[in-house]
Amino acid sequence: MNVELTELTRKFGHTRAVAGVSLEAGPGVFGLLGPNGAGKTSLLRMMATVLPPTSGTLHLLGRDPGGYGPRREIRRRLGYLPQNLGYYPGFTVTDFVEYFALLKDMPPRQVPRAVATAIEHVGLGDRARSKLRTLSGGMLRRVGIAQAIVNEPELLLLDEPTAGLDPEQRVSFRALLRDFGQWSTVIVSTHLVEDVAAACTEVMLMDAGRIVFHGTPADLIARGEGHGVGDAPLERGYSAVLTAARS
Amino acid sequence: MDDDELIAAVAGGDDTALRELFARHAPWLAARLRGVLPASEVEDVLQETFLAVWRGAGRYRPEGSAGGWVWGIARRQAAQWLRRRGPAELLLPALTAADGRNPDDPAEAALSRAEVACAVSALGPEGGPARETWRLMYVEDRSVAEVAELMGVPEGTVKSRAYRARELMRAALRRHEPVGREAANDR
Amino acid sequence: MTGDELTGGYEGLAGRVLGPHDVDLDRVWLGVAAQVWRRQPGPVERAAGRLLRSPGLARALMTTPSLLLGWVIATATVLLAGVGVTLGTGTPWVGLIAPALAAAGIAYAYGPGIDPAWELSQSMAISDRMVLLVRALAVFGLNAALGLAASAASGAAAAVTFGWLVPMTAICALALATATVTRSPNVGVAAGATGWVIAILAGMDAEGQLTAAITDSAFIVPYLALAICCGAIVLLVTRIPRGAS
Repeated sequence: MNVELTELTRKFGHTRAVAGVSLEAGPGVFGLLGPNGAGKTSLLRMMATVLPPTSGTLHLLGRDPGGYGPRREIRRRLGYLPQNLGYYPGFTVTDFVEYFALLKDMPPRQVPRAVATAIEHVGLGDRARSKLRTLSGGMLRRVGIAQAIVNEPELLLLDEPTAGLDPEQRVSFRALLRDFGQWSTVIVSTHLVEDVAAACTEVMLMDAGRIVFHGTPADLIARGEGHGVGDAPLERGYSAVLTAARS
Repeated sequence: MDDDELIAAVAGGDDTALRELFARHAPWLAARLRGVLPASEVEDVLQETFLAVWRGAGRYRPEGSAGGWVWGIARRQAAQWLRRRGPAELLLPALTAADGRNPDDPAEAALSRAEVACAVSALGPEGGPARETWRLMYVEDRSVAEVAELMGVPEGTVKSRAYRARELMRAALRRHEPVGREAANDR
Repeated sequence: MTGDELTGGYEGLAGRVLGPHDVDLDRVWLGVAAQVWRRQPGPVERAAGRLLRSPGLARALMTTPSLLLGWVIATATVLLAGVGVTLGTGTPWVGLIAPALAAAGIAYAYGPGIDPAWELSQSMAISDRMVLLVRALAVFGLNAALGLAASAASGAAAAVTFGWLVPMTAICALALATATVTRSPNVGVAAGATGWVIAILAGMDAEGQLTAAITDSAFIVPYLALAICCGAIVLLVTRIPRGAS
């Protein structure tokens, strides 16, 4: 198990952004769906060891991120793409990916090849030496994905990774997810339901800080049978679950 | 962009031009080297070759052929590798062929044979008229009369086919162009 | 035509480059690209990497805004002007401006205000706190060295030449603490500058001398106390609470 959460909670003042989430995840691709404000980003930030939980237990890659040493070990094997990733405009694509490869404490000898691999993997091989300020939004997102995968992480956390990618790029991105999902835990937070259908082995739906559905995409489709709202089967399932959770 | 323009761009520090050059030339270079080296060494030699292209693109003169220039670099890298590994690595069918001569430099000889093999494939498919004529006349060393009888054609036809075969091989060896492409696809 | 349309997906070279079946040309290209694309670190960065035993920290250090060449040249220029004024008027202006310059440099060493990829930096194995520590020490050290050189060049007495190091520590700590708490380097600079002006005025008020803030030894204890307090604040703000309390 790469991720083990038990009754994980996070409060901001009086608001409970995450209200008691329990989860176990091994290798595979897990989709995290939910409306805005459901707590997806806070959950991901806790798993990225950026935000400490208020209560509950959190074990990542077999370690407790509370201690400095274990946290450092987790972070070496972690890939994280935040929802809003800023860029250093004067850096090239290679500079940026290499910077974070070094900060992830990768052995320096492995870095150049790992950086080249990550850049080619996201399809930016012909922009490797372009400055970030010359790139479009979709390309910048792909740079973000490249830094997340550069250290071949065992736990890959992606918050809205497909923002700005055109349909063809999203298809290629899903193939990348499936590749990584063979041997690592990939958690993708998205509001694009079709991303989930195509790439994820399991789906979790969050609402108001709680997980209200956890199953396969097929299970979610089944929940949508007979439900009126939604254009596609998965959307109907999504809507059906939310309606049930809120009533 | 043609090859000359690509190499000029590489000389100017354009890595995307190098990427395009790689896409165009690596396959046939790999196929040609594969006749001489084991697969993993082909990879190493190719890597060194294109790094040398990256560093040395400024020295390329457009009058030559780009393919020939790149092959020249690959050839040198391969020869270095072969010499470093010593005689044991040169156990290739090409070298143990029964022409009885001892090459001065086994590495060079092996590479020459790779070039010749590629040029031979320019003669067309095995069993075809040009190739068969070449094989009978120059490998089996038969006379024109014998070849005419074996192939069932007049002596004049044999002579013109032999002439054509020589011309084709001369052109192929001179160009060092990717005549090996068809051979690569056959593997 | 945007670059997105040109690349058209993640094929990279795969699918276009087919050689003999047992030769992996994609792997070959990655080996070439690794060498062609890599950045060669300069001598300073390499030395820093060996000293810190971490190439990542060295790289983070080299990208500190207040250690970039432009900034260093600006600092040196201001100090040079201070030397000129000191030689002209006899008042040790170098000692008065060096702390403020250092405080500005420290405020610009770190934090969400100047680091666009701030959130990502917080998830790194080389922790942002380590990066902060190394950067702050480097900026402080550089400013101290430049200031000492300028001070000596302006012919000031030893007491004045070294006297401003303690107030500089205090003001830098104040600037950094403010910048970290408010998440804004500009507020940090403002706090540092304001604090320093107040100290100078207080000194003038107490002793009637402009330079009292750097020469009066009675101030040393308050300065150190301020430095320690602000340091503690910085450590507190940059920590991640232990466990899942």
